[in-house]
Amino acid sequence: MAHNSDTDSDTLELCLREGIAGNEYADPREALGCDTDTDDAEVARALVRIVAAHDLAQIGIQSVQPEAARHPSVRPPTEVTADPSFLGRLSTTGDEGISVERIDDVSTLLAVLRAGSRRQRRAALARLRERLVDRRLRQSDEVRKAVQTISKLRDVELGYELAQLRAELPGAPGRAARQEHEQWKRLAQRTQFEIRAFWDGQSSVDAFRGLPGDQRALLLMRVSELSDLVVHHITAIIEGSDGCVPLESRIGLITSLRYARDPRLVPALVAVLEAERGELVASAARVLGGMDDARAQPALAERFERSFVAEERIALAGALGMHGDLRGLSELRSSLGEDHPKLPLQALEAMESLGSPDSTDLVTKFLDHADASVAIQAARTCARIGDGRALDELTDRYNATAVPALRAAIEDALSAIEARMELRGEEAATIDWSEVGNKPVPRKGPRDSLPAITLGWRDYFMGRLWLLLGRVTWAIARFESAAARRDDWAAPLIGIGMAFARREQYALSLPAFRRAIEVDRLRIERNPILVRAMAKAFLHRAEQVEREGRDDVARGLVGEVLTLDLRRAPGTVRFELKRKHDVLRRGEQGNVDSAA
Amino acid sequence: MSTRLRDAAIRHLRSLGAATGEGAVRRLTMDIEVEGRVEMVTLSLRDGELQCVSSDARNDGPHVLAALQFVTGMETREDSSPPGSLVSIAAQSPEKSPASELADALDDLLTAITRIGVDKAQHAPSVDAALERLTGVAPKPTPSGLGRFIGRLQQAIRSADLRRVARLLEGASQLADALRAVTPAPEAEQRIGAWLGARPGSKPEVELLYDRTMVEVGREWLPGTERASLERRYLIDTHSGSIYREDRLRNANASLGPCPRQVQVGLAEVEAGPNPRRIRVLQYEVEPDVPAESWDRLHQVASQSFVEVTEEYRRTLQASPSLSEPFALIAPFRIERNDVFKAFDAEGHQLVLDRSERRGAVLAFYELLAQGIEPSWLAGRLTDSGTTVCLSPFAMGTFDGKYTRL
Repeated sequence: MAHNSDTDSDTLELCLREGIAGNEYADPREALGCDTDTDDAEVARALVRIVAAHDLAQIGIQSVQPEAARHPSVRPPTEVTADPSFLGRLSTTGDEGISVERIDDVSTLLAVLRAGSRRQRRAALARLRERLVDRRLRQSDEVRKAVQTISKLRDVELGYELAQLRAELPGAPGRAARQEHEQWKRLAQRTQFEIRAFWDGQSSVDAFRGLPGDQRALLLMRVSELSDLVVHHITAIIEGSDGCVPLESRIGLITSLRYARDPRLVPALVAVLEAERGELVASAARVLGGMDDARAQPALAERFERSFVAEERIALAGALGMHGDLRGLSELRSSLGEDHPKLPLQALEAMESLGSPDSTDLVTKFLDHADASVAIQAARTCARIGDGRALDELTDRYNATAVPALRAAIEDALSAIEARMELRGEEAATIDWSEVGNKPVPRKGPRDSLPAITLGWRDYFMGRLWLLLGRVTWAIARFESAAARRDDWAAPLIGIGMAFARREQYALSLPAFRRAIEVDRLRIERNPILVRAMAKAFLHRAEQVEREGRDDVARGLVGEVLTLDLRRAPGTVRFELKRKHDVLRRGEQGNVDSAA
Repeated sequence: MSTRLRDAAIRHLRSLGAATGEGAVRRLTMDIEVEGRVEMVTLSLRDGELQCVSSDARNDGPHVLAALQFVTGMETREDSSPPGSLVSIAAQSPEKSPASELADALDDLLTAITRIGVDKAQHAPSVDAALERLTGVAPKPTPSGLGRFIGRLQQAIRSADLRRVARLLEGASQLADALRAVTPAPEAEQRIGAWLGARPGSKPEVELLYDRTMVEVGREWLPGTERASLERRYLIDTHSGSIYREDRLRNANASLGPCPRQVQVGLAEVEAGPNPRRIRVLQYEVEPDVPAESWDRLHQVASQSFVEVTEEYRRTLQASPSLSEPFALIAPFRIERNDVFKAFDAEGHQLVLDRSERRGAVLAFYELLAQGIEPSWLAGRLTDSGTTVCLSPFAMGTFDGKYTRL
């Protein structure tokens, strides 16, 4: 077959584009030098050969095609409906418009810190840090107020930024933060050593598997300060190329990175979005949602467009919302509008970034949900939406519920809504805290007699003494005796719980803590040392029973402690408890897989 | 077309197999000859609707009409054969070797796409049927080369990329020729090996590598017969600058370690085939922390002439238009970053980024440039937008020995 060399290549390309069958205007037979009755298969081969040869000959003849040299648009257009309020227009950086970087007023920064999105809160904290660096300003009243607020702030999402800022503060909070950093350095060094041994073949155990949950959370909270070696090891686990970590631990590690912002993690997380399915994708999406990285949004959007599994789509929609891309909003709204929505916890969580005042009614109806964790999440979502219309519902629910964790979440929500209304220039709602605050529990029964009180204190001090001398059994006996003398006295029970917890006998410490909570819950919840020890005891005991394969018991323990007000517990412990709760819940419901 | 004819065809297709419980018919494909012209006609039932199309892209042409008449005609015929006694078509046809069947399937695919046209191929049942047949006659599990061809072809058809479809089909046509050869030449044998793996009895051309230091600079998931069915890692020999690919099918094993990593290769096999050549790392040690000297070495071995890069790209594609997906490591002499990134070699030749793939990586690269970071080397997959060779970035290094995976 002789090809006519004068043939216009455009004609042949047109034939291939339009098809050679049934196209009377584009019959390439003559151009290809074929007979009119040549078989289609033969014509097809000749056509493809010539078009491909011509195409390959063209490569490189033009150094830069104008189309190829265009700058990529920075962000793809999305269906974002701009929030015209102050917070809606408040960017985190930049010299133009309203940006957190340009706010000098400390009160406004503090309000943003309570009411803003995660990015805005981070930016506000960074701005406050700049202001606090100047020691001269520390004397002013408003800066002193800021220091107090920062010392008390328990925002898990800002754990790393808060730790950095606190380390620069004077006094006890600064010392505690610096001490925690030193602890982190030792942990990081030990982990690095173990990772090196793993890759050198001297150890077959992954360094993260043996770490208790709170220590892992502490280590990964400062992931951006970790060395390349550790971060590369983490990315190997994320991508499943470490050779030994099982799927469940892989998911666990990704969820532990929930609030990480290190760009070194992004390619591995994007690879998970591209190639994996189910919970892995959902976890990776949640991490990428919080990353200020140009690679995150395109990867999330691409995966969202082809995913059909509810679990993935909800997480992807929420993550996209954090990047200002609201393409998943209508789907989430219709899902939450159903009588029995699928995955309400995850959907409400996604609404934190997607929700607007239009969604308030949809969210507040979950405040009455039978599952306390769903109700708590609804309160958190209300806090992020910040619509004043939710105040009444929240107050009513606060007075009706007996779940301390829900009351704590509602308190935070009320405070965030108040701050948001202030920033919007609306009349700040007057929240009568005396009305919604913790009311004194009416005392049951008669007061203890004077001899009972005296003997009780004697037993208690003897118990403390025996503890100092290392006689734990005798000390416990004395504490028990003290507790038996007085009905509503939590101190000896706390003493027993703390004694066992310090010796890492968590199973023995739990009954004492439970009894103490029953007698005087507020005392434990309001004391940072007690609440930390109690939360850690529950967490470590849950880890122990989980290792023994008793997931139901572990789930019960974590669920139980999460009903308490843990705001004064360390962020890493709260984060880990929440993470473990989610993992164990998923285990209860069974894994949801999808086709990638 | 008569509605009655269509209704009768729907009725008959629904009834097929329903009575005996042998399975319902969803799609029928047949070759119909009318006035001396043979067309493939596909009748498919989707959501209760009958869709008819012939390979000349017509829905109501004479071939479709003849096919419907044939199907409805079957309704009146009595089927005297007892259930379960059907003789398979394969058993009725004369014995064909698997290689020959595969060659025929590749030719059918080429013909189906060329007949219907690249623009309409995405939704053409005839193209779907040809692809199904191809995967049906291919060895199981589908070899990575063939799988990757199918993945790339589907992607090119979806984006109606005429040039890419032509290249891929040309490669398929070359493979069909090689499969039909009674005694394949070494080049044909190599081609078959690249697509289908080594055949039993053949001696694959393999180069053994000993004691090399390699650095993995990038990895990606690629589509094959399914989405993300192949993971490809790009390894660069720090001594010679040779680039290798390590392919891993989903759920299969490959060397362990993160990206980036340094691999001390004790023993590895390198297959002859399209660039970058496929490597199988057999004995190795992994260092997740790549030393600064190795990054310096990459800068030293990177290509500095973009003319050579372009020539090599063209040569590679000409040798293997379907399977080659060249990867390059370049060290720009200078860069421009005013509005658009352009890399220049010492002779003033330019190389730009491919914006159509790995969009996030390109955006991240531009953000790094905006921060004032200057790349000393860039690694990426080479592509082209017709006449211009472009780079789809995977990684970059800076003069201070830092590495960024994009």
